[in-house]
Amino acid sequence: MTSSPVKAQAAGRDGRASLKQFTRALGAAIVVLVIWRVTTVGLAEGYPASFWISQALNGLVLGGVYALVALGYTLVYGILFMINFAHGEVMMIGGITGFFALQFAQARGWMEGPWPVVVVALLLIMFIGMAASVLIGVTLERLAYRPLRQAPRLVPLISAIGASLFLQYSVLLIFGVSPHSYRKPALISGGLRLGDVFIPYTGAIIFITSILLMLALYFIIQRTKLGRAMRAVAEDRSTASLMGVDVNAVIVVTFMLGSALAGAAGVMLGFHNTVVKFNSGFIPGLKAFTAAVLGGIGNIPGAMFGALILGLIEAIGPSALGIPTEYKDVIAFTMLVLILIFRPTGLFGEVLSEKKA
Amino acid sequence: MTALLSIQQVTKVFGGLTAVDSVDLEIAERSISSLIGPNGAGKTTLFNCLTGLHRPEAGEILFSGRSLIGLRPDEITDRGVARTYQNIRLFGRMTALENVLVGQHLRLQASHWSAVLRTSRQQAEERAAREFGRELLDFVGLGGREEVVSTNLPYGDQRLLEVARALGSRPLLLLLDEPAAGMNPSETDRMMDLVHRLRDEKGVTVFLIEHDMKVVMSISESVAVLDYGEKIAEGTPEEVRSNARVIEAYLGPEVAVQEAAGNAIQ
Amino acid sequence: MPLESATRAVRTGLVAFAFLSYLILIGIPGRIGGPALPVMALIAALFFWVKLRRESIEPSKEATGRGQDGFEGKPGWEIGPQAASNGSRVRELLSSHTGTALVLKGLLAGLTTGLLIAIVSGIIAAAMGNGIAIQPVLDKIVPLNAAALIGVSPGQIAQADVSFARFLLQVLLFTGAGILAALAVTAGSSDLTHAAPVGRLTRHLSGPTLTSAGRYAGIALPFVLLAYIAWLGLPGVTAFGTNEGTVRLLLTLIATGSGLFALRLSRPGREQLAVAVLLGLGVVTMPFILDQFQNSVMGLVFIFVMMGLGLNIVVGYAGLLDLGYVAFFAIGAYTYAFLSAPFSSPYISGLLTLLGISPESPLLGYWMALPVAMLTAAVGGILLGIPVLRMRGDYLAIVTLGFGEIIRLFMLNLGELTNGPRGILEISQPALFGLTPVDVTFGLLSSQGWIFLLALISSALVAFVAIRLNESRLGRAWFAMQEDEDVAEATGVHLVRTKLLAFAIGATFAGMAGQLYAARQINIFPENFSLFVSIDALALIIVGGIGSPAGIVLGALALKGLPEVLRGVDEYRIVTFAALLVIMMIVRPDGILPSARRRIQLADPDEPGMDSDPETREEEPGLTVNGDAFADGSGGREEQ
Repeated sequence: MTSSPVKAQAAGRDGRASLKQFTRALGAAIVVLVIWRVTTVGLAEGYPASFWISQALNGLVLGGVYALVALGYTLVYGILFMINFAHGEVMMIGGITGFFALQFAQARGWMEGPWPVVVVALLLIMFIGMAASVLIGVTLERLAYRPLRQAPRLVPLISAIGASLFLQYSVLLIFGVSPHSYRKPALISGGLRLGDVFIPYTGAIIFITSILLMLALYFIIQRTKLGRAMRAVAEDRSTASLMGVDVNAVIVVTFMLGSALAGAAGVMLGFHNTVVKFNSGFIPGLKAFTAAVLGGIGNIPGAMFGALILGLIEAIGPSALGIPTEYKDVIAFTMLVLILIFRPTGLFGEVLSEKKA
Repeated sequence: MTALLSIQQVTKVFGGLTAVDSVDLEIAERSISSLIGPNGAGKTTLFNCLTGLHRPEAGEILFSGRSLIGLRPDEITDRGVARTYQNIRLFGRMTALENVLVGQHLRLQASHWSAVLRTSRQQAEERAAREFGRELLDFVGLGGREEVVSTNLPYGDQRLLEVARALGSRPLLLLLDEPAAGMNPSETDRMMDLVHRLRDEKGVTVFLIEHDMKVVMSISESVAVLDYGEKIAEGTPEEVRSNARVIEAYLGPEVAVQEAAGNAIQ
Repeated sequence: MPLESATRAVRTGLVAFAFLSYLILIGIPGRIGGPALPVMALIAALFFWVKLRRESIEPSKEATGRGQDGFEGKPGWEIGPQAASNGSRVRELLSSHTGTALVLKGLLAGLTTGLLIAIVSGIIAAAMGNGIAIQPVLDKIVPLNAAALIGVSPGQIAQADVSFARFLLQVLLFTGAGILAALAVTAGSSDLTHAAPVGRLTRHLSGPTLTSAGRYAGIALPFVLLAYIAWLGLPGVTAFGTNEGTVRLLLTLIATGSGLFALRLSRPGREQLAVAVLLGLGVVTMPFILDQFQNSVMGLVFIFVMMGLGLNIVVGYAGLLDLGYVAFFAIGAYTYAFLSAPFSSPYISGLLTLLGISPESPLLGYWMALPVAMLTAAVGGILLGIPVLRMRGDYLAIVTLGFGEIIRLFMLNLGELTNGPRGILEISQPALFGLTPVDVTFGLLSSQGWIFLLALISSALVAFVAIRLNESRLGRAWFAMQEDEDVAEATGVHLVRTKLLAFAIGATFAGMAGQLYAARQINIFPENFSLFVSIDALALIIVGGIGSPAGIVLGALALKGLPEVLRGVDEYRIVTFAALLVIMMIVRPDGILPSARRRIQLADPDEPGMDSDPETREEEPGLTVNGDAFADGSGGREEQ
């Protein structure tokens, strides 16, 4: 046979380039729409400046908590290329444990004591929450992820979904359905008033603590031998192991670090939202993942900034767009979708190519 | 002979690196041409530009007189350009025959409805496609291996299967990316024979990248040489062999001088 | 006993303790009641057995293998009661070094567990006896639960009236469990040691190793079960007392599932056709026989079969991991609801009044609404598919998950359109030429039976379309795309069209399922369409075997049907399911009934993924037809 006549060009020439143009136009349209909506509706409501400032501060606090959780996603993704879907539950377990530690402290009257006692007790509560999260995180890695390290990508993801459900409903069975409410000690239940802006102490404490924890993590990763090993494993696991890095140990430590941050976030979120229950880790977990993606997953400073941005948008967004606050989750998820469509590498993304996305 | 493929001033840049630099090249219809050059010279990148995997920053690629720039890979395949890959990329879990059937994908016309209803036309088309697939497997020398899952084929057979898959789309121009890489001498001979038969029996124009100089020199009618993205020589194998710049590119400047001197003495 | 082996045993005991503590914390002893203590010991023994067996096999396969000659085929558990008759053998075993060491190990592990449990339950009992209520903290640590664990009455716990002998009994029981497990391992036959039971079962059921008698028995089983169900259904016949309904439901599930195995067992050609036709007839009579509850469960199962088949096109065939599949299910359900429910929502009612149509009577019947629902879902599939065209793997999963949540949040918050959390009520039932099926069949077919019948027919249709498409050039294109997207495109596959077709067809099936679901529920609410629907659908195709329609039916039976049978232990449903999901991924990631070839490998092969290493996976027992074919990174990325 000789080559047959070439089939007529049926479809139009809607090549890749035009798809790209289309998405770009869509992106521009969305931006314009959002700006229009903000200027005509959000700003027209005429809220005072103090309202916006307190909303923004609220957003920063929330962002700080998200950042701690997002770091866990980013760390694990950076090293294992897997989404630890159960990370939100690790956080929730920190919160639940923190609640019981708080109850214990309150029953002993430590929370009404002099301020050094209260501070030490609060720190202890946070450490207990972190320890519980670390325990769960490491167990999770050992039981649900390690056997699957060689498996195709979907398998550990499904295992993680299973683990997430398992943790949620175990907590439901063990601790019941009803939410457990955190009672703030008197020392930190007040706030600071600056003109019209009210800053609750808990908010300030949460923000400062999360910044400190993030700095600590950054120090560990950039300055210690352990951090160097982690970066080496993230870069190339097999080469790192040839260079004498104990890959298993590094992975365990990664889970420990991520879970410890999540545990701290869980306790702080408990103080912030005043309640924890079996599913209170799920949505924040998704949000934190969004934040990690926003900053470019695998990128540590990216996760921090992504989380702060997400927190701000979530706090300001509904009022600015003039829509009910119930839609704040919609805004977060829409952000996730839009980011992945228009900038799959995230706002601060670097090496992560489209291929991985 | 008219030019089937005409590459004009094609340039492809990655970041700061110019992988292909204003390359001009013409491939005559029903010819066997080769593209050679040291590693990293931009040969595969040029192939990727031809097949739509990369979009060149500048230049024009005309195939049968029509531009290929901006077309999707599947549209380019539809025009009649098919290719194989340097590091074999078969559909690993499919059988040999299924791989060739995927190759024929865009030559099959039956609608998806007719596939659900199994209309007689669709059935006839499927039968014909299978028949043609077997024919192609026979042609490349894989007769009787139809039902073998492709990753279970020996290495040399996998390369042959890639050719058969590419032929599935009934191409006018076939781009072979290092077809003889990693093959033993007898497999290489088989491949060379196949390339000849492709042109002689199927009327396909063949354009190939190859490192094995024996292969290049014995089967090519014309050879082009790339170095650092630039075309440094073009011509018949003999012309290219004695070209000083080519020798320099391959062996380094000093050797080139000696070689040239040696050639002069001869 | 060497120190290393002792620490290992203690560690085994600790893990067992952790596992049992979990079971205690979620309230299993309280559930079991009287025999809780021995049952827990038995669970511990099972755990020790698994653990010890693995430890004894792993280090020296040949050594233990030789030691077990002559004990082949003896079920491990019988060693206890038979100890007297087999005394000499046991003595022989015990005298040999490995046997003694193993028993000592089991003893140590059991002792560790028993001591820890006795101590903890002692503390709990003491606390409860002193009036400290642990229950507000740990929901399931009620006197009932603690008492069951210790083997006393709740009253005794309340009065701190638990003797020391009780705790001693706990220790002894668990130690005994350890010893029993060790003996079982020593006596266990060597051929049991290699394949997991599930793997062996399925291999037997599908492989040529089965004798013809066994084969015929396998084929006959579903028919026998169906006949039994029919007989159970006759008035006046009772079985198993009040649990008849549940038993019948369970049997129906098993009959349907075993039907699939019967189909696999029968020879292709005339025999298979005959079995298929007979089975089809048998299953179609089910809706007429079962009662309202059983029918409603089976209806749900087959609605999820439709969902699974649709999602399988997206995930199993095209390799696009979609976690927001519930969106299309919801679109189908709400479309039908808008069209067929009176006062469906303020906005729609207003719109209808404006158009001069009475909003009180349904706009369209079930059949007229069907194409609308399918089309809406398909359009939804395309609209949601376009933005994610260029995403792969995990990112696709998360974005689609986000889509699913967005749709649900909109349903919840767009009160004027969807009536918000109050839902849409009184959705009309599918009619047959203007008559209800109950009238047509003179009451033989209940309303839920009718839904079941429709679900059966629709799933058969959907399966037919899905299988045919998969066998056509479209199916090949999907599979090629799943294998290597770039090469598929360069080979001539129009990626955009092929992907969108997968999304659209998958969504259409989900839309059909959604419509039927709305008809089944009569009233629908946004919480019917949570993320868990997506996860259920995904889980059932994974459990059943990705890419395999028969596996999907089996998965739906197991995941949507069995929990209904286990209504009594509803609270443990999700936990069990979740744990099974994890275990399944570790033990048998290809599903119960994997398709012959399309093993689970959804990541494109050239992705860095989790260091995909083909060698390690080839050793797995499984059902491969044409040899194993794991694509390794055959296509590294070639750039520049």
